[in-house]
Amino acid sequence: MSEAEDDIDDEVVAKVSDYLDGLLKGAERDDVANKIENDPAWKQTHADMVENRKFMSGMQKARAPATFTEDVTGTINKRSAGRFFGRRTFGDRVPFTALLVVAIIALAAVGYLMWASQTGSLKVDKQPAPTQPPPKPPVSM
Amino acid sequence: MSELERSLLRRLRDRDERAFRELVEAHRDRVYNITFRMLGNRAEAEDVAQEVFIAVFKTIDSPNSGYREESKFSTWLYRVAVNHCKNRIKYLARRHDRDREEIDETTHTTGVNGSIGGPMPSSPHKALESAQMEKLMQEAIANLEDDQRIVVVLRDVEDLSIEEICEITGLPDGTVKSRLHRARLVLRKRLQRHVEDRNE
Repeated sequence: MSEAEDDIDDEVVAKVSDYLDGLLKGAERDDVANKIENDPAWKQTHADMVENRKFMSGMQKARAPATFTEDVTGTINKRSAGRFFGRRTFGDRVPFTALLVVAIIALAAVGYLMWASQTGSLKVDKQPAPTQPPPKPPVSM
Repeated sequence: MSELERSLLRRLRDRDERAFRELVEAHRDRVYNITFRMLGNRAEAEDVAQEVFIAVFKTIDSPNSGYREESKFSTWLYRVAVNHCKNRIKYLARRHDRDREEIDETTHTTGVNGSIGGPMPSSPHKALESAQMEKLMQEAIANLEDDQRIVVVLRDVEDLSIEEICEITGLPDGTVKSRLHRARLVLRKRLQRHVEDRNE
């Protein structure tokens, strides 16, 4: 096949490809449909490509081995020494910063409650301690 | 993305083994079919398909994984599969170890490990013809250039849309179409030559 014939073939294949993929619209689609109907070269290309595509999409599907899922899981477990699966700990799922912020807020709240409480140990007692009356002197008889 | 898939992915991020198994079960045949059609070798295809799932589940919660919530999980999975296939092809080419002789050995087997699925033609003559055609087509696909093979496998074998192929390969629309045209042209010529040889 000459280079010129190759170019023509390329163009026909490109157009017929787009036509089969449903990518052509309006006048362009009608033009290609018309050529496929009337031009023997276009007609042949179209027939060949329909045949090829039909065969390719109908090619039998290769199925993964029955043990595939077990194999992948096994490989992951082997490589991670069994640590990959299993629900992650709370500390893994929640970022450390978020935990730290919550802890600081909780500590501050507890501190405030202790400070505000009447009997809280953090409360600074501003009242002077009640003075004890001086002991009575012993009564002499 | 469906709600079911979203929930599976959430569980997967918590490293729930059952969610992992469910997702593998749902996608394994398609991923395996892509790797097999791309590599043309059953053992390599299985190995790469395994690596695809391992990579996906190791990186799913990583910000650099390339996975976006709004896109389809399967599209991302196929992108990972295509990239792994490309890497394996390069690796095998370096080792001069591209053995695609195995292609048709199990064509007649059904329902066994790594088998080719689907109904077989009724008569022995038709079965033989179909097996020969299958072998011929797989050889023709295997002999395409790598970038042509990717688009033809995704479009004509896996029946994905041009849009999905663009997303998977990261190529612009025009490049995908022109590679597809080239690939179909090459396939057509090879198959025509075969038909002519047979008729002589």
